[in-house]
Amino acid sequence: MRPAGLGEREKPTHRGVVLDPRSKLLLLATIATIVLGGMGGSQMLWMHAVLSSLPLAMLAFSGRFVAAMICAAAFGAAFFVQAALVAQGSGTGIFVLLLLSGIFSRMLPAIVAAHYLVTTTTVSEFVAGMHRMHAPDSIVIPLSVMFRFIPTVVEEATSIQQVMKMRGIRVGAGHPRKMLEYRLVPTMICSARIGEELSAAALTRGLGAPIARTNVSHIGFAIQDWIIAAICSWAFIAASLSMIGA
Amino acid sequence: MITFDDVSFRYTNGDDNNCLSHVDFTIERGQAVLFCGASGSGKSTVTRLVNGLAPHYYNGEITGRVTVDGLDIATTELHQLTPKVGSVFQNPRSQFFTVDTDSELVFACENLGMDVEDILARKQTTIAQFGISSLMGRNIFKLSGGEKQKIACASVSLHSPDVLVLDEPSSNLDSAAMEDLRRILLLWKAQGKTLLIAEHRLHFLAEVVDRVVCLHEGRICHDVTPEELTRLPREEREVLGLRPLTLKDLDNTPATSAGRDHVRAALPAPVPAPARAPGPTPAPAPGNVVTLSGFRYAYRKHEPVLDMESCSLPAAGVTAVIGRNGAGKSTFASCLSGLVRNPGLASTSQKAWKWRERLTQCFMVVQDVNHQLFGESVQTEILLSQPTEDQHAAEELLDAFNLLSLKDRHPLSLSGGEKQRVAIASAIASERPVVILDEPTSGLDLRHMRQVSAGLRMLADRGRTVIVITHDPELILTGCDHVLHLDKGSVAANYPLDAAGRRRVLRFFTTTS
Repeated sequence: MRPAGLGEREKPTHRGVVLDPRSKLLLLATIATIVLGGMGGSQMLWMHAVLSSLPLAMLAFSGRFVAAMICAAAFGAAFFVQAALVAQGSGTGIFVLLLLSGIFSRMLPAIVAAHYLVTTTTVSEFVAGMHRMHAPDSIVIPLSVMFRFIPTVVEEATSIQQVMKMRGIRVGAGHPRKMLEYRLVPTMICSARIGEELSAAALTRGLGAPIARTNVSHIGFAIQDWIIAAICSWAFIAASLSMIGA
Repeated sequence: MITFDDVSFRYTNGDDNNCLSHVDFTIERGQAVLFCGASGSGKSTVTRLVNGLAPHYYNGEITGRVTVDGLDIATTELHQLTPKVGSVFQNPRSQFFTVDTDSELVFACENLGMDVEDILARKQTTIAQFGISSLMGRNIFKLSGGEKQKIACASVSLHSPDVLVLDEPSSNLDSAAMEDLRRILLLWKAQGKTLLIAEHRLHFLAEVVDRVVCLHEGRICHDVTPEELTRLPREEREVLGLRPLTLKDLDNTPATSAGRDHVRAALPAPVPAPARAPGPTPAPAPGNVVTLSGFRYAYRKHEPVLDMESCSLPAAGVTAVIGRNGAGKSTFASCLSGLVRNPGLASTSQKAWKWRERLTQCFMVVQDVNHQLFGESVQTEILLSQPTEDQHAAEELLDAFNLLSLKDRHPLSLSGGEKQRVAIASAIASERPVVILDEPTSGLDLRHMRQVSAGLRMLADRGRTVIVITHDPELILTGCDHVLHLDKGSVAANYPLDAAGRRRVLRFFTTTS
């Protein structure tokens, strides 16, 4: 009955090939810039294919074969539709279809990469990775709280939604502004209360102590991380070259 | 170990509840002390002064001196107290900081900058001591309340503070989880920890604590051993708002019929006089029952969690649904209220409701009552629930629930017991024939529990079918007529609360806790 949220998983998957959180971030950033953002233009299509297949492969390596297969099939279909339709010429219907499959095939890889990042990384690993990159605490702490807080807000909103359904108060039943208010005010108050209790509990457990924090997560670059790093750098170099017209 | 030297405390936010005045005591190393008293008596404030949250997080004026292991709380920073004092709080959902159980256990140790090898060794020891290896590597959002509370206890145990402070740790727990909590407390006691526990529910602590400190309006009124507390006269315990120290005491609770007048008296309001004759409720006559049949529910690709044979409950009465954790009680509530699609049928002699119809016939008061209240005032809340708005009827209802003076307040600004009363009043206002309540008395003190119990009686007196999921034996014995006992998703027993039924239900609670 609960919807999926950020970091949602039964168990953090630590089987198969494990990537360092920094490589996962690099992969996400590269895909977002080149595949989604379109850096380097249309000559980069082959690179798009390589980059798009990487998160799928990582998803499969981490033991999520079914999810990887479904995404691969969807991606393949979008790619195929595009290739087949480009030859078909013009027409409004074809144009709309082309547009949709284009958007889909560009967005999907970034979504899969983001999904891979949040489902296979624990908050602790993420914090360790950020610290190794010398990210300041003013970025790391809010980000790690987000991991914790977004599912909380989703949980609260879902419960409130259920009660509204039971009480027969639905969107569109008269006053849209009121409906929004009935939903938002309790969600915000409940989330704020949880936030307050959360801070109190965290403070009694030494959060914010002026002590160098240790971290038990094992992170570090292995051969697979270097491969990812190499592919990503290659992609960026190729994209830059194509932009300056070489 | 802990000394309070003529301590007074007042919160700066203007909250006059929970103040302390001239509190003076010393707790020796290794002692287990229970702080009890009604809501607002100041017992939470005592725990906050020990872990430093007051005055460092919850601001307030302090006079006198609190010391923990020689440190003066007023001048010691929170992180300096962390190695000495571990805290467990009331709400299992809001006291974990990370998302997965492994990170959670080591969180405090990491913050204290302990050596990684040392942390991992401690983690292994704690997992073994608490028997929680099956909870490792899990998403905390997917754990039950009891499991979350176990993780909370284990994670404060990891950096081995000498003092452990628990603020109403059992509020949201069922009897099996309370038993787990009791074992953890005994483990800490065996390790020589100093324990401070603020609680409403006392019966699971009888063998744990060495000393009971009773607070009344911010002052200590009793500082006794548990045995001495049980010898206090009943009237005095009632004034202090104390729940019984052993469940056996409940045996003497007035029988249901007498209990009704008793609980009515608890509601300080012009409650309409009962129309029913005194005397034990007769077994429901065949025409006077709601029959539930075909209630089945399974999550995708899993064994059914609910598969109930047909059973009959009193149509105008209060039925308590009891059962251990995972017995399917909450699933039953979701199915009965029609919130999830299911083949179950609820029928009276006149009509039968399928799940979709039940969505408009059942009113549900959910476990976290904060999710229930969205009106901008108490009065709007009632008007929203009415099928057609009727200002006059709403005011009458608020008056009956002694809420009239609060009618312009925002419902979420009320106290826990008041919120429950608003929710029950809106259940009456909805005019729906079936009312389902999920754990309405968790975290309530004696007085508020009685008020909820009186509210349930009012619903039943108005001919509603009331179904209450509860782990609270006192609520069952004072406010219910019938018991539906679920086990592994099916009906284990279904009996009226006559003299034999009362003994039976008490036996259920004494064997689980």
